[in-house]
Amino acid sequence: MGARCTTCGAALELPCACKACGALQPLAGERDPWTELGFEPAFDLDEALLRRRLLSGSRLVHPDFHGGDEAARALAEAHSARLNRAHAILADGARRADALVVLLGGPDESTSREMPREFLVEVLDWNESLEEARESRSWSDELAALSDELLERRAGELAALRALLVPAPPRGDARLALARSRLAAVRYLDRALGELEALRLAAARN
Amino acid sequence: MGYIELNVLNQPTAPKEARALGIDLGTTHSLAAIWKDGRPQVLRVEGESALVPSVVHFPREGAVVVGQAAREQAVASPRDTLFSIKRFMGRGLADVAQELATLPYAASETERGLIQLEVHGRKYTPEQLSALVLRKVHETASRALGEPAPTRVVVTVPAYFDDTQRQATRDAARLAGLEVLRIVNEPTAASLAYGLDQRDKGAVVVYDLGGGTFDVTVLSIEEGVFRVLSTAGDTHLGGDDFDAALVGLAREEIAAAHGAEVLADPGCQQALRLACERCKIELSTAPRAEIHLVLPERRVAWRREVSRAEFEALVAPLVARTMAACAQALSDARLSTTQVDEVVLVGGSSRIPCVRARVEAFFGRKPHVELNPDEVVALGAAVQAHILVGGKRDVLLLDVTPLSLGVETMGGAVSKIIQRNSTVPCSATEGFTTYADDQTGIDFHIVQGERELAADCRSLGRFKLRGIPPMPAGMAKVGVRFHIDADGVLTVTAKEERSGASASIDVQPMHGLTDAEVESMLSSSYSHAQDDFEARRAADLAIEIGMMARAVEKNLNAARAGLDKESLLDLEEALARAKAAAEGRDAKALQKARDEFERASLPLAALLMNNVAQKALMGRSLDEV
Repeated sequence: MGARCTTCGAALELPCACKACGALQPLAGERDPWTELGFEPAFDLDEALLRRRLLSGSRLVHPDFHGGDEAARALAEAHSARLNRAHAILADGARRADALVVLLGGPDESTSREMPREFLVEVLDWNESLEEARESRSWSDELAALSDELLERRAGELAALRALLVPAPPRGDARLALARSRLAAVRYLDRALGELEALRLAAARN
Repeated sequence: MGYIELNVLNQPTAPKEARALGIDLGTTHSLAAIWKDGRPQVLRVEGESALVPSVVHFPREGAVVVGQAAREQAVASPRDTLFSIKRFMGRGLADVAQELATLPYAASETERGLIQLEVHGRKYTPEQLSALVLRKVHETASRALGEPAPTRVVVTVPAYFDDTQRQATRDAARLAGLEVLRIVNEPTAASLAYGLDQRDKGAVVVYDLGGGTFDVTVLSIEEGVFRVLSTAGDTHLGGDDFDAALVGLAREEIAAAHGAEVLADPGCQQALRLACERCKIELSTAPRAEIHLVLPERRVAWRREVSRAEFEALVAPLVARTMAACAQALSDARLSTTQVDEVVLVGGSSRIPCVRARVEAFFGRKPHVELNPDEVVALGAAVQAHILVGGKRDVLLLDVTPLSLGVETMGGAVSKIIQRNSTVPCSATEGFTTYADDQTGIDFHIVQGERELAADCRSLGRFKLRGIPPMPAGMAKVGVRFHIDADGVLTVTAKEERSGASASIDVQPMHGLTDAEVESMLSSSYSHAQDDFEARRAADLAIEIGMMARAVEKNLNAARAGLDKESLLDLEEALARAKAAAEGRDAKALQKARDEFERASLPLAALLMNNVAQKALMGRSLDEV
């Protein structure tokens, strides 16, 4: 990194503010979420450290501590918003993988929605069960089992993503396109799991 | 367990001017607290209750009366005595039809579609009425302190309040001459009051059942940072509804004994409501209690004993709704009940024994009830106020936005830009483009809620971006930026990236939803998930067909020249069928029409590709094709 505080010159742990003197740093252009939280871009991440960086960063830039003048508060709002966004991306394995694929110059979500071939066969099966669930609008052991199966499958996709992204492939590598198709599968799974969770909660409500 | 200050020795005493009040502006009562002698303290005048009833009475002559004295006028002059004002904050007439049916108030709407209540021919907005309550609270605080209380304040709102309701609360404080340092969510404030920062690490659930609203919030506490993971609730469920269950029971029996006309009298309605409230409160400590209604001038003397079991059966559906919200909040926080370390009960209605029992059973642990549930929120607001004036830096609140924000897209669907339970402050930018050639303006409709269609969400405002230079459809790049600040209040700006044309709005409150829709914005998104899904799919398909149709129509001349008769006829028929289907809302029919249209347009696509290839071979650039 090597960035230094614009006020006191101390080395910066996070680009948003200086831990040594507390000064907010100027709002530079958009940064990737890793840089925002003081990490090197990589799929593997120490989650406890990530959380601590969010908390220590928030202590420096949260608008609660910059109430003095309007400009300082606005800057604090902007830094906090960036910090929160970066954390939300890095805290979720799939979003983290997505950001990494884009950062490494791979295809983004809008250019490719293809799913892995072997996955498509399973999707047909699941869709049938989901369609029935939608119509019955009730919860059952079968749906609980389906939910478990999808969760397990999701864990499998994330493991596959990790295998593709660790170590990080060079820019333009074919593995990035493969990772993108795995991410399309995760998207499908998340939508289906969201629907199932909504059904479960609705059933609990009645 | 009271509030135990962490490092008393390291806390420099804040200078006198750097003080601020915490105010809980409640549905049934309000109160203030302040940081004093190293801890938050409720401000009460010796010999009086700290609670100021949130009631405003307008006598026919003389000055307006607020608080306890106003409450005492409820039976004698019900039409001039306004209760439950908080339920009307930021709402329109249609939103609160249900409340108005049970309250004896005359109401109308302002030009902006916000409600105003009428007394003696004068109109008052809920902001003005709340301002009167806030002034009374401030005055009480000054009397308690023996000197003018600070005018800088932190005011709390239900976590589940939407943007419009938050803005209304801020406006009320401004009308009362107070400077709002922060709007804080009630359950979050409560967690601060409990001094739960004593834990180095843990997950905490705050169950807040107040007079008119219910909230549940899941927080994680680590290194003195209170981070809200999720919040869920119901802006239309509280102690008032528990009273109403008893009122319903009493009305039936009174009508049978004394005739229904007795009940039509507003004075009788208020008296009955208060009698039922008393009965409810007694039932929290006694196994049985009486509803006792005496109206000598109407020759009514009616008593009815209610057992706790009978009351519990009456309110069971209400308690069940709160537990469903707990399940939702846990699900959103991705926690199971076993991962919860502490449960805190807040709000007067959390004293009801069956509520406590259900909460304990659900989470499998005894909830905290050490602090007075009526005072916890104000105490927490005082802690936050102390933080904001710079007196305390070892604690930080990271709260979330309770409802998703988005813009309406073509076809009436919602493109969500900020998901619910995102930590605030937060910003997100989304790109939009023009739909027609040479379109110079784009209208944006901003909505809040979880439903898939804009018409089912709460409308927050509309704005127009102008001055886009003429260019072909889809070429303009408009970035719309949503920013939710630490108060949970939204600003939206938009910019066309090629020309730099910009537009911005302060979101103005709009109405247009019935109350039933607002209160159940989140929960209904699940029960309607299927309908929504279909409607969303239909809207998306209609857009796709529209785009395909324009592409085909543009190239019809080429098709006529280059396609065989059969393919051309097939294409024209499929085009007409798809356009007809796009008028409808049947997702299955739309899907079928789209698929057939796509199949029928394949020969044209092949033809165009060939043309492109040939022209490329002839050395012409692609964009000339």
